Amino acid sequence: MSEVLEGVRETAPTPLLQLSMQQAINRALGEILESDDRALIFGEDVGVLGGVFRVTDGLQQRFGANRVFDTPLAESGILGTAIGLAMAGFHPIPEVQFDGFAYPAVNQIITQLARMNYRSRGRLPMQVTLRVPSFGGIRAPEHHGESLESLFAHVPGLKVASPSNPQQAYHLLKHAASMPDPVIFMEPKARYWNKAGVNLAADEDTASLEGSVIARPGKHATLIAWGAMVSRCLQVAELAAEDGIELEVLDLRWLKPIDEAGLAASVSRTRRAIVVHEGPHTAGLGAEIAALVSQSCFDTLRAPVERVTGFDVPYPSGDLEDEYIPNIDRILFGVQRVLEYRRG
Amino acid sequence: MAEISFPLPDLGEGLLEATVLEWLVKVGDQVERNQPFVEVETTKSSVELPSPIAGIVLTLHGEPGDVVLVDTPLITFVVADDSAGIVGTVPQEAAPKRRVRLSAVLDED
Repeated sequence: MSEVLEGVRETAPTPLLQLSMQQAINRALGEILESDDRALIFGEDVGVLGGVFRVTDGLQQRFGANRVFDTPLAESGILGTAIGLAMAGFHPIPEVQFDGFAYPAVNQIITQLARMNYRSRGRLPMQVTLRVPSFGGIRAPEHHGESLESLFAHVPGLKVASPSNPQQAYHLLKHAASMPDPVIFMEPKARYWNKAGVNLAADEDTASLEGSVIARPGKHATLIAWGAMVSRCLQVAELAAEDGIELEVLDLRWLKPIDEAGLAASVSRTRRAIVVHEGPHTAGLGAEIAALVSQSCFDTLRAPVERVTGFDVPYPSGDLEDEYIPNIDRILFGVQRVLEYRRG
Repeated sequence: MAEISFPLPDLGEGLLEATVLEWLVKVGDQVERNQPFVEVETTKSSVELPSPIAGIVLTLHGEPGDVVLVDTPLITFVVADDSAGIVGTVPQEAAPKRRVRLSAVLDED
Protein backbone atom coordinates (compact mmCIF):
# COMPACT_ATOMS: atom_id res chain seq x y z
CA MET A 1 0.00 0.00 0.00
CA SER A 2 1.31 3.39 -0.88
CA GLU A 3 1.15 6.48 1.27
CA VAL A 4 -2.39 7.55 1.94
CA LEU A 5 -3.09 11.11 0.90
CA GLU A 6 -4.86 12.81 3.73
CA GLY A 7 -7.09 15.81 3.66
CA VAL A 8 -8.54 14.71 0.31
CA ARG A 9 -12.28 15.05 0.42
CA GLU A 10 -14.78 13.14 -1.63
CA THR A 11 -15.32 15.74 -4.33
CA ALA A 12 -14.87 15.87 -8.07
CA PRO A 13 -11.57 14.21 -8.93
CA THR A 14 -8.78 16.75 -9.35
CA PRO A 15 -5.71 15.72 -11.32
CA LEU A 16 -2.76 15.21 -8.99
CA LEU A 17 0.42 17.15 -9.64
CA GLN A 18 3.64 15.22 -9.20
CA LEU A 19 5.69 17.46 -6.94
CA SER A 20 8.63 17.04 -4.63
CA MET A 21 8.25 18.47 -1.14
CA GLN A 22 10.55 21.38 -2.01
CA GLN A 23 8.38 22.18 -5.03
CA ALA A 24 5.18 21.82 -3.01
CA ILE A 25 6.47 24.21 -0.35
CA ASN A 26 7.71 26.60 -3.03
CA ARG A 27 4.24 26.66 -4.53
CA ALA A 28 2.60 27.19 -1.15
CA LEU A 29 4.97 30.08 -0.38
CA GLY A 30 4.19 31.70 -3.73
CA GLU A 31 0.46 31.49 -3.05
CA ILE A 32 0.88 32.93 0.44
CA LEU A 33 2.85 35.89 -0.95
CA GLU A 34 0.21 36.38 -3.62
CA SER A 35 -2.78 36.36 -1.29
CA ASP A 36 -1.27 38.14 1.72
CA ASP A 37 0.59 41.34 0.91
CA ARG A 38 1.82 41.53 4.52
CA ALA A 39 3.77 38.30 3.98
CA LEU A 40 7.58 38.58 3.76
CA ILE A 41 10.15 35.85 3.23
CA PHE A 42 13.70 36.32 4.42
CA GLY A 43 16.68 34.32 5.56
CA GLU A 44 20.13 33.20 4.47
CA ASP A 45 20.34 32.73 0.68
CA VAL A 46 16.55 32.60 0.22
CA GLY A 47 16.55 35.51 -2.26
CA VAL A 48 19.11 35.57 -5.06
CA LEU A 49 20.06 31.91 -4.73
CA GLY A 50 16.52 30.68 -4.07
CA GLY A 51 17.47 28.77 -0.93
CA VAL A 52 20.10 26.08 -0.47
CA PHE A 53 17.34 23.49 -0.98
CA ARG A 54 15.72 25.53 -3.83
CA VAL A 55 12.61 25.93 -1.67
CA THR A 56 12.34 29.69 -2.33
CA ASP A 57 13.49 29.37 -5.95
CA GLY A 58 12.15 32.13 -8.20
CA LEU A 59 10.20 33.92 -5.46
CA GLN A 60 12.43 36.99 -5.39
CA GLN A 61 12.11 37.36 -9.15
CA ARG A 62 8.33 37.08 -8.86
CA PHE A 63 7.71 39.25 -5.82
CA GLY A 64 10.72 41.53 -5.68
CA ALA A 65 13.56 42.02 -3.23
CA ASN A 66 11.36 43.99 -0.85
CA ARG A 67 9.30 40.90 -0.07
CA VAL A 68 11.81 38.10 -0.51
CA PHE A 69 15.26 39.04 0.69
CA ASP A 70 18.59 37.73 1.92
CA THR A 71 19.78 38.39 5.44
CA PRO A 72 23.19 38.36 7.08
CA LEU A 73 24.31 35.05 8.58
CA ALA A 74 22.81 35.92 11.95
CA GLU A 75 19.86 33.81 13.09
CA SER A 76 19.26 35.93 16.17
CA GLY A 77 18.87 38.91 13.84
CA ILE A 78 16.60 37.01 11.48
CA LEU A 79 14.22 36.18 14.33
CA GLY A 80 14.55 39.62 15.89
CA THR A 81 13.62 41.15 12.54
CA ALA A 82 10.65 38.80 12.28
CA ILE A 83 9.42 39.78 15.73
CA GLY A 84 9.69 43.50 15.00
CA LEU A 85 7.94 43.09 11.65
CA ALA A 86 5.15 41.09 13.26
CA MET A 87 4.73 43.87 15.87
CA ALA A 88 4.36 46.31 12.96
CA GLY A 89 1.63 44.19 11.41
CA PHE A 90 3.59 42.18 8.86
CA HIS A 91 3.45 38.43 8.43
CA PRO A 92 7.07 37.27 8.42
CA ILE A 93 7.93 33.83 7.04
CA PRO A 94 11.63 33.60 7.93
CA GLU A 95 13.83 30.62 7.19
CA VAL A 96 16.57 29.27 9.40
CA GLN A 97 18.74 27.56 6.81
CA PHE A 98 19.48 24.41 8.82
CA ASP A 99 18.03 23.31 12.16
CA GLY A 100 21.53 23.25 13.62
CA PHE A 101 21.75 27.00 12.98
CA ALA A 102 18.65 27.68 15.08
CA TYR A 103 20.48 27.79 18.40
CA PRO A 104 21.58 31.44 18.11
CA ALA A 105 17.92 32.30 17.51
CA VAL A 106 16.58 30.30 20.44
CA ASN A 107 16.78 33.27 22.79
CA GLN A 108 14.65 35.41 20.46
CA ILE A 109 12.24 32.52 19.87
CA ILE A 110 11.69 31.68 23.53
CA THR A 111 11.97 35.04 25.27
CA GLN A 112 10.19 37.20 22.67
CA LEU A 113 8.46 35.36 19.84
CA ALA A 114 6.67 32.78 21.99
CA ARG A 115 5.42 35.21 24.64
CA MET A 116 4.84 38.58 22.96
CA ASN A 117 1.15 37.87 22.49
CA TYR A 118 0.84 36.83 26.15
CA ARG A 119 2.94 39.74 27.41
CA SER A 120 0.95 42.32 25.44
CA ARG A 121 -2.40 40.82 26.49
CA GLY A 122 -3.16 39.99 22.89
CA ARG A 123 -2.27 43.39 21.45
CA LEU A 124 0.83 42.11 19.65
CA PRO A 125 0.06 38.71 18.14
CA MET A 126 3.01 37.07 16.45
CA GLN A 127 1.89 35.72 13.09
CA VAL A 128 5.32 34.31 12.30
CA THR A 129 5.80 31.15 10.28
CA LEU A 130 9.35 29.96 10.86
CA ARG A 131 10.51 27.40 8.32
CA VAL A 132 13.35 25.17 9.47
CA PRO A 133 14.84 22.45 7.24
CA SER A 134 15.09 19.77 9.91
CA PHE A 135 16.34 16.35 10.99
CA GLY A 136 19.00 14.22 9.31
CA GLY A 137 19.29 11.83 6.42
CA ILE A 138 21.37 13.83 3.94
CA ARG A 139 24.81 13.02 5.39
CA ALA A 140 25.59 16.65 6.06
CA PRO A 141 28.38 17.97 8.27
CA GLU A 142 27.92 18.89 11.92
CA HIS A 143 25.26 21.52 12.74
CA HIS A 144 23.32 20.66 9.57
CA GLY A 145 21.10 17.98 11.09
CA GLU A 146 19.39 18.12 14.46
CA SER A 147 15.99 17.29 15.92
CA LEU A 148 14.71 20.29 17.82
CA GLU A 149 11.05 19.34 18.11
CA SER A 150 11.06 18.57 21.84
CA LEU A 151 12.91 21.82 22.55
CA PHE A 152 10.32 23.90 20.69
CA ALA A 153 7.35 21.81 21.84
CA HIS A 154 8.35 22.53 25.43
CA VAL A 155 7.97 26.29 24.99
CA PRO A 156 4.51 27.71 25.78
CA GLY A 157 3.28 29.96 23.00
CA LEU A 158 4.77 28.06 20.09
CA LYS A 159 3.10 25.64 17.73
CA VAL A 160 5.21 22.99 16.00
CA ALA A 161 4.37 21.10 12.81
CA SER A 162 6.28 18.68 10.61
CA PRO A 163 4.99 17.40 7.26
CA SER A 164 5.81 13.94 5.94
CA ASN A 165 4.98 14.21 2.23
CA PRO A 166 4.49 16.86 -0.49
CA GLN A 167 0.70 16.96 -0.27
CA GLN A 168 0.83 17.50 3.44
CA ALA A 169 3.65 20.04 3.22
CA TYR A 170 1.70 22.18 0.76
CA HIS A 171 -1.51 22.29 2.79
CA LEU A 172 0.02 22.24 6.25
CA LEU A 173 2.28 25.22 5.48
CA LYS A 174 -0.61 27.28 4.12
CA HIS A 175 -2.64 26.37 7.18
CA ALA A 176 0.23 27.17 9.56
CA ALA A 177 0.73 30.52 7.83
CA SER A 178 -2.92 31.40 8.38
CA MET A 179 -2.64 30.93 12.13
CA PRO A 180 -2.31 34.00 14.36
CA ASP A 181 0.39 32.28 16.47
CA PRO A 182 4.06 31.56 15.81
CA VAL A 183 4.49 28.17 14.15
CA ILE A 184 7.80 26.34 13.85
CA PHE A 185 7.49 24.46 10.57
CA MET A 186 10.02 21.62 10.57
CA GLU A 187 10.63 20.42 7.03
CA PRO A 188 12.28 16.98 6.84
CA LYS A 189 15.21 17.63 4.52
CA ALA A 190 15.62 13.90 3.78
CA ARG A 191 12.20 14.03 2.07
CA TYR A 192 12.71 17.23 0.04
CA TRP A 193 13.35 15.41 -3.23
CA ASN A 194 10.75 12.63 -3.17
CA LYS A 195 7.93 13.29 -5.60
CA ALA A 196 4.33 12.34 -4.93
CA GLY A 197 0.89 13.32 -6.08
CA VAL A 198 -0.39 16.60 -4.69
CA ASN A 199 -4.02 17.68 -4.79
CA LEU A 200 -3.88 21.46 -4.54
CA ALA A 201 -7.65 21.75 -4.13
CA ALA A 202 -7.92 19.77 -0.93
CA ASP A 203 -7.17 22.62 1.40
CA GLU A 204 -10.58 24.19 1.91
CA ASP A 205 -11.35 22.01 4.90
CA THR A 206 -8.83 23.30 7.42
CA ALA A 207 -10.23 21.03 10.12
CA SER A 208 -8.65 18.15 8.22
CA LEU A 209 -5.27 19.80 8.72
CA GLU A 210 -5.47 19.80 12.50
CA GLY A 211 -4.16 16.90 14.52
CA SER A 212 -2.73 13.61 13.37
CA VAL A 213 -3.61 11.40 10.44
CA ILE A 214 -3.54 7.63 9.97
CA ALA A 215 -1.05 7.01 7.18
CA ARG A 216 -1.76 3.27 7.17
CA PRO A 217 -4.41 1.41 9.11
CA GLY A 218 -3.53 -1.73 11.07
CA LYS A 219 -4.67 -3.63 14.14
CA HIS A 220 -1.77 -5.17 16.05
CA ALA A 221 0.26 -2.11 17.06
CA THR A 222 0.58 1.60 16.26
CA LEU A 223 3.80 3.14 15.00
CA ILE A 224 3.77 6.85 15.92
CA ALA A 225 6.02 9.08 13.84
CA TRP A 226 6.42 12.43 12.09
CA GLY A 227 8.59 13.98 9.37
CA ALA A 228 10.93 11.62 7.56
CA MET A 229 10.23 8.75 9.98
CA VAL A 230 6.70 8.36 8.62
CA SER A 231 7.86 6.94 5.29
CA ARG A 232 10.30 4.66 7.11
CA CYS A 233 7.50 3.40 9.37
CA LEU A 234 5.37 2.76 6.28
CA GLN A 235 8.22 0.59 4.94
CA VAL A 236 8.35 -1.23 8.27
CA ALA A 237 4.58 -1.81 8.16
CA GLU A 238 4.93 -3.26 4.68
CA LEU A 239 7.60 -5.69 5.90
CA ALA A 240 5.69 -6.57 9.06
CA ALA A 241 2.72 -7.52 6.90
CA GLU A 242 4.90 -10.28 5.40
CA ASP A 243 5.10 -11.71 8.92
CA GLY A 244 1.37 -11.47 9.45
CA ILE A 245 1.55 -8.38 11.65
CA GLU A 246 -0.66 -5.46 10.72
CA LEU A 247 0.89 -2.21 11.92
CA GLU A 248 -0.96 1.07 12.01
CA VAL A 249 1.14 4.14 11.18
CA LEU A 250 0.00 7.33 12.86
CA ASP A 251 1.50 10.47 11.31
CA LEU A 252 1.43 13.02 14.12
CA ARG A 253 1.91 16.13 11.88
CA TRP A 254 1.44 18.51 14.84
CA LEU A 255 4.05 18.14 17.57
CA LYS A 256 2.58 21.01 19.58
CA PRO A 257 -0.24 20.71 20.30
CA ILE A 258 -0.13 16.91 20.18
CA ASP A 259 -3.32 15.23 19.01
CA GLU A 260 -4.15 13.38 22.24
CA ALA A 261 -7.53 12.19 20.98
CA GLY A 262 -6.04 10.80 17.79
CA LEU A 263 -3.32 8.98 19.73
CA ALA A 264 -5.85 7.52 22.15
CA ALA A 265 -8.21 6.44 19.37
CA SER A 266 -5.49 4.57 17.48
CA VAL A 267 -3.77 2.89 20.42
CA SER A 268 -7.02 1.92 22.12
CA ARG A 269 -7.74 -0.13 19.00
CA THR A 270 -4.29 -1.62 18.48
CA ARG A 271 -3.39 -1.79 22.21
CA ARG A 272 0.31 -1.50 21.51
CA ALA A 273 2.39 1.56 20.65
CA ILE A 274 5.90 2.27 19.40
CA VAL A 275 7.10 5.88 19.04
CA VAL A 276 9.80 6.45 16.43
CA HIS A 277 11.83 9.65 16.28
CA GLU A 278 15.25 10.84 15.17
CA GLY A 279 15.93 13.02 18.19
CA PRO A 280 17.86 11.78 21.22
CA HIS A 281 16.08 9.40 23.60
CA THR A 282 16.16 11.27 26.89
CA ALA A 283 13.40 13.87 27.19
CA GLY A 284 12.62 13.37 23.50
CA LEU A 285 9.06 13.88 22.32
CA GLY A 286 8.61 10.11 22.57
CA ALA A 287 8.60 10.45 26.36
CA GLU A 288 5.67 12.87 26.23
CA ILE A 289 3.80 10.63 23.80
CA ALA A 290 4.44 7.55 25.93
CA ALA A 291 3.03 9.40 28.93
CA LEU A 292 -0.06 10.55 27.03
CA VAL A 293 -0.71 7.06 25.68
CA SER A 294 -0.15 5.45 29.06
CA GLN A 295 -2.64 7.82 30.61
CA SER A 296 -5.36 7.48 27.99
CA CYS A 297 -4.93 3.76 27.24
CA PHE A 298 -3.65 2.33 30.53
CA ASP A 299 -6.38 -0.27 30.82
CA THR A 300 -6.15 -1.50 27.25
CA LEU A 301 -2.38 -1.41 26.69
CA ARG A 302 -0.86 -4.88 26.28
CA ALA A 303 2.72 -3.67 26.68
CA PRO A 304 4.60 -0.61 27.85
CA VAL A 305 4.97 2.02 25.13
CA GLU A 306 8.22 1.38 23.26
CA ARG A 307 10.51 4.16 22.04
CA VAL A 308 12.83 3.73 19.04
CA THR A 309 14.89 6.90 18.83
CA GLY A 310 18.23 8.48 18.16
CA PHE A 311 20.87 8.00 20.84
CA ASP A 312 21.92 10.35 23.63
CA VAL A 313 24.91 11.61 21.66
CA PRO A 314 25.56 14.74 19.61
CA TYR A 315 24.03 14.32 16.17
CA PRO A 316 26.66 12.47 14.11
CA SER A 317 27.73 13.82 10.74
CA GLY A 318 28.20 12.01 7.45
CA ASP A 319 27.89 8.24 7.15
CA LEU A 320 27.63 7.77 10.93
CA GLU A 321 24.04 8.97 10.81
CA ASP A 322 23.05 5.55 9.42
CA GLU A 323 23.90 4.15 12.86
CA TYR A 324 22.02 6.92 14.63
CA ILE A 325 18.71 7.37 12.81
CA PRO A 326 16.23 4.57 13.62
CA ASN A 327 16.53 2.05 10.81
CA ILE A 328 14.14 -0.65 9.71
CA ASP A 329 15.65 -3.36 11.92
CA ARG A 330 15.67 -1.21 15.06
CA ILE A 331 12.01 -0.33 14.50
CA LEU A 332 11.17 -4.00 13.88
CA PHE A 333 12.95 -4.91 17.14
CA GLY A 334 10.78 -2.36 18.94
CA VAL A 335 7.69 -3.89 17.39
CA GLN A 336 8.83 -7.37 18.41
CA ARG A 337 9.36 -6.22 22.00
CA VAL A 338 5.81 -4.94 22.38
CA LEU A 339 4.36 -7.97 20.61
CA GLU A 340 6.09 -10.52 22.82
CA TYR A 341 5.59 -8.65 26.10
CA ARG A 342 3.63 -10.63 28.65
CA ARG A 343 2.42 -9.34 32.00
CA GLY A 344 4.52 -10.87 34.76
CA MET B 1 15.95 21.24 -14.01
CA ALA B 2 16.75 24.67 -12.63
CA GLU B 3 18.91 27.50 -13.95
CA ILE B 4 21.43 29.16 -11.68
CA SER B 5 23.42 32.22 -12.72
CA PHE B 6 26.58 33.49 -11.12
CA PRO B 7 27.58 37.11 -11.27
CA LEU B 8 31.15 38.29 -11.52
CA PRO B 9 32.39 38.71 -7.95
CA ASP B 10 34.55 41.60 -6.77
CA LEU B 11 38.00 40.12 -7.30
CA GLY B 12 39.96 42.78 -5.48
CA GLU B 13 39.32 45.74 -3.26
CA GLY B 14 36.37 47.52 -4.79
CA LEU B 15 37.08 46.61 -8.42
CA LEU B 16 34.15 47.35 -10.71
CA GLU B 17 34.83 45.14 -13.72
CA ALA B 18 36.97 42.49 -15.34
CA THR B 19 37.82 41.48 -18.91
CA VAL B 20 37.14 37.94 -20.09
CA LEU B 21 40.44 36.49 -21.32
CA GLU B 22 39.45 32.90 -22.03
CA TRP B 23 36.54 30.61 -21.32
CA LEU B 24 37.83 27.29 -20.02
CA VAL B 25 34.45 25.63 -20.63
CA LYS B 26 31.88 25.77 -23.41
CA VAL B 27 28.11 25.65 -23.55
CA GLY B 28 26.90 22.10 -22.84
CA ASP B 29 29.94 21.14 -20.75
CA GLN B 30 29.41 19.39 -17.43
CA VAL B 31 31.37 21.41 -14.89
CA GLU B 32 32.30 20.12 -11.47
CA ARG B 33 32.34 22.18 -8.32
CA ASN B 34 35.62 24.12 -7.91
CA GLN B 35 36.59 23.46 -11.53
CA PRO B 36 38.11 26.61 -13.09
CA PHE B 37 35.70 27.83 -15.79
CA VAL B 38 37.05 31.20 -16.92
CA GLU B 39 40.17 33.32 -16.86
CA VAL B 40 39.51 37.01 -16.36
CA GLU B 41 41.80 40.01 -16.10
CA THR B 42 41.35 42.91 -13.75
CA THR B 43 43.48 46.03 -13.42
CA LYS B 44 45.45 44.14 -10.77
CA SER B 45 45.90 40.62 -12.12
CA SER B 46 44.53 37.84 -14.22
CA VAL B 47 42.81 35.05 -12.35
CA GLU B 48 40.99 31.77 -12.95
CA LEU B 49 37.58 31.53 -11.30
CA PRO B 50 36.41 28.20 -9.84
CA SER B 51 32.82 27.11 -10.32
CA PRO B 52 30.79 27.36 -7.12
CA ILE B 53 28.55 24.45 -8.13
CA ALA B 54 28.35 21.44 -10.42
CA GLY B 55 26.12 21.80 -13.44
CA ILE B 56 25.84 21.98 -17.21
CA VAL B 57 26.86 25.26 -18.83
CA LEU B 58 23.84 26.98 -20.39
CA THR B 59 25.13 30.47 -21.17
CA LEU B 60 28.48 32.24 -21.19
CA HIS B 61 27.78 35.93 -20.73
CA GLY B 62 30.43 37.55 -22.90
CA GLU B 63 33.15 36.81 -25.45
CA PRO B 64 36.90 36.93 -24.84
CA GLY B 65 37.82 40.61 -24.73
CA ASP B 66 34.43 41.68 -23.36
CA VAL B 67 34.28 43.68 -20.16
CA VAL B 68 31.94 42.26 -17.52
CA LEU B 69 30.74 44.41 -14.62
CA VAL B 70 30.88 43.13 -11.06
CA ASP B 71 27.50 41.75 -9.95
CA THR B 72 26.29 41.15 -13.51
CA PRO B 73 25.81 37.56 -14.78
CA LEU B 74 28.99 35.78 -15.86
CA ILE B 75 27.82 32.21 -16.38
CA THR B 76 24.53 30.33 -16.15
CA PHE B 77 24.29 26.65 -15.28
CA VAL B 78 21.52 24.14 -15.55
CA VAL B 79 21.39 21.95 -12.45
CA ALA B 80 19.18 18.98 -11.68
CA ASP B 81 16.16 19.69 -9.48
CA ASP B 82 17.32 17.00 -7.11
CA SER B 83 20.84 18.32 -6.63
CA ALA B 84 21.61 18.62 -2.96
CA GLY B 85 22.69 22.22 -2.70
CA ILE B 86 25.74 23.40 -0.85
CA VAL B 87 26.03 20.58 1.69
CA GLY B 88 24.86 17.03 2.09
CA THR B 89 23.67 14.49 -0.46
CA VAL B 90 20.30 13.50 -1.83
CA PRO B 91 19.26 10.27 -0.04
CA GLN B 92 19.16 7.28 -2.36
CA GLU B 93 15.87 5.42 -2.35
CA ALA B 94 16.85 1.80 -1.91
CA ALA B 95 14.51 -1.15 -1.58
CA PRO B 96 13.93 -1.65 2.15
CA LYS B 97 16.21 -4.33 3.60
CA ARG B 98 15.64 -6.19 6.82
CA ARG B 99 17.34 -8.73 9.04
CA VAL B 100 14.73 -8.84 11.80
CA ARG B 101 11.67 -11.04 11.41
CA LEU B 102 8.64 -10.72 13.65
CA SER B 103 7.65 -13.90 15.44
CA ALA B 104 4.81 -13.03 17.73
CA VAL B 105 2.16 -15.31 19.11
CA LEU B 106 -0.74 -12.94 19.57
CA ASP B 107 -3.16 -13.97 22.28
CA GLU B 108 -5.95 -11.75 21.10
CA ASP B 109 -9.08 -11.70 23.19
